Amino acid sequence: MRRGVVLPRAAIVGVLALGWEITARSMDPLLYVPPSRVLPALGRLVALESFPYLPEHLWLTLREILIAYALAVGGGIATGFALGLRPGLGRIYAPLLGALYAVPSVVWYPSLMLLFGLGAASKIAFGFLLGFFPITLAVLAGVRQVDPHLVTVARAFGARPGTVFARVMLPSMLSTLTGGLRAGLALSVVGVIVGEVLGSKAGLGYLINYAYGLLRTADYVALVLVALALVLAIDGVAALGERRARRWA
Amino acid sequence: MTGSHIVVDRLSKRYDTSTGAVQALTDVSLSVGPREFCTVIGPSGCGKSTLLAMIGGLLGPDEGSIVIDGRRVAGPDPRRVAMVFQDPGLFPWLTALDNVAFGLELQGIPRAERRRIAADLLGPLGLREFALKYPRELSGGMRQRVAIARALAIDSGIVLMDEPFGALDEQTRFLMGEWLLDVWTRARKTVVFVTHSLQEALALSTRVVVMTARPGRIKSVIDLPLPYPRDLESPEIASFRAKLWGELREESLKTMNQ
Ligand SMILES: Nc1ncnc2c1ncn2[C@@H]1O[C@H](COP(=O)(O)OP(=O)(O)O)[C@@H](O)[C@H]1O
Ligand SMILES: [Mg+2]
Repeated sequence: MRRGVVLPRAAIVGVLALGWEITARSMDPLLYVPPSRVLPALGRLVALESFPYLPEHLWLTLREILIAYALAVGGGIATGFALGLRPGLGRIYAPLLGALYAVPSVVWYPSLMLLFGLGAASKIAFGFLLGFFPITLAVLAGVRQVDPHLVTVARAFGARPGTVFARVMLPSMLSTLTGGLRAGLALSVVGVIVGEVLGSKAGLGYLINYAYGLLRTADYVALVLVALALVLAIDGVAALGERRARRWA
Repeated sequence: MTGSHIVVDRLSKRYDTSTGAVQALTDVSLSVGPREFCTVIGPSGCGKSTLLAMIGGLLGPDEGSIVIDGRRVAGPDPRRVAMVFQDPGLFPWLTALDNVAFGLELQGIPRAERRRIAADLLGPLGLREFALKYPRELSGGMRQRVAIARALAIDSGIVLMDEPFGALDEQTRFLMGEWLLDVWTRARKTVVFVTHSLQEALALSTRVVVMTARPGRIKSVIDLPLPYPRDLESPEIASFRAKLWGELREESLKTMNQ
């Protein structure tokens, strides 16, 4: 199965790269870089020749993501359960949440920069904001998924509220919850990197914007590939966590 | 643990809903002796489930009390009462074995021991090969047997069953009845069994409690001092059936015309 997936994937990447190579060679070399120029640029980037401080920038971005995500998880789970377990509160506030989620989130970013400045705080706030909604909504949906009959059964067998929560509610919500946690992570990553691109003095997004501004297009594409690798690595860790959570249930 | 004694004394229960109050039970008194198989029968909506939930401590009474072996019921107490519902309510993420062991786990019994107890129960119930299957892999009848095993596992003196076979087809239902009788004869527990099937009541019970249409009261109590297994075609059973149907018919008509 593994090979049946890897081969077609390699093939599509190869075809796209080839098409890109052919197209880019016939265009303005300042704006269109073929893979044959990206690869050396990537080599210089990884060798820390083009941006010697790349590790510091990467590390900053990673820390911003971790903090933003931790806040989103804590806030999302707390809000989700507060609204989900109190039907009164939920009826009042859950629709607001849905409406806020529907607003294209980039519109919030300028106000976050005004509030938190150009530094890491505004990126963390944006990553938090983006990650918070899917997690909260997943908890809300998950609470609604819990079969009240199973709660009754557990109570009949002597389960107290804490046990009902751990042994009935969490397992019932698990797939929705892990789905929301993973979506939230992806969005926290997006929030932090987009925040850096839109305005910052450090971080991976800042480097991307910087290279792009100086028309160092090959370096820019190489940095985008690094961002892609970062996102894939984070999502891989998330997928691993998800699989473990499923086994636990 | 074997047969406990249940005393229900002048119990009343009302539900307050957005469309007004519903009087579910009025002044219900009932005594069920040790090792009895007491069947509660009555038109739907007459408060049978409410009565059972209250004996199980899941619902508190508005008036009156329930006393088991001299102690008043104040909440669910699995050491004294186990419950089986019409919907088996198995946990989909647990195997049959771990579902059976669920109550034992809540009582803090170590994993190895509770699995041994659960496995010992599954064998005689014809579920030995299904111990490691998940509920979705079991038939309706098997699921309900697992739910009954879960109730038996905690070794309470009382088992309450709320239409446990109500969702099964006629034949399965009949076989499950035979099977339950066998279990009850060996386990010697006090059983309170809700059904709307006359046949089931006649085949299983030592006594039958007939309830009135809403608000539920006790209309009559009929003792069935007959040996098991019972021949449902016998003249004796036929006369009990006629008597029971006479009581029930009136109440069912009331419910129909409401
Ligand atoms: N949680 C509840 N809230 C409001 N009304 C209820 C509730 N549970 C039961 N009832 C009502 O109380 C009456 C008795 O219900 P129930 O005990 O389930 O009857 P039975 O089991 O005999 O069919 C019915 O009219 C039912 O609609
Ligand atoms: Mg009922």
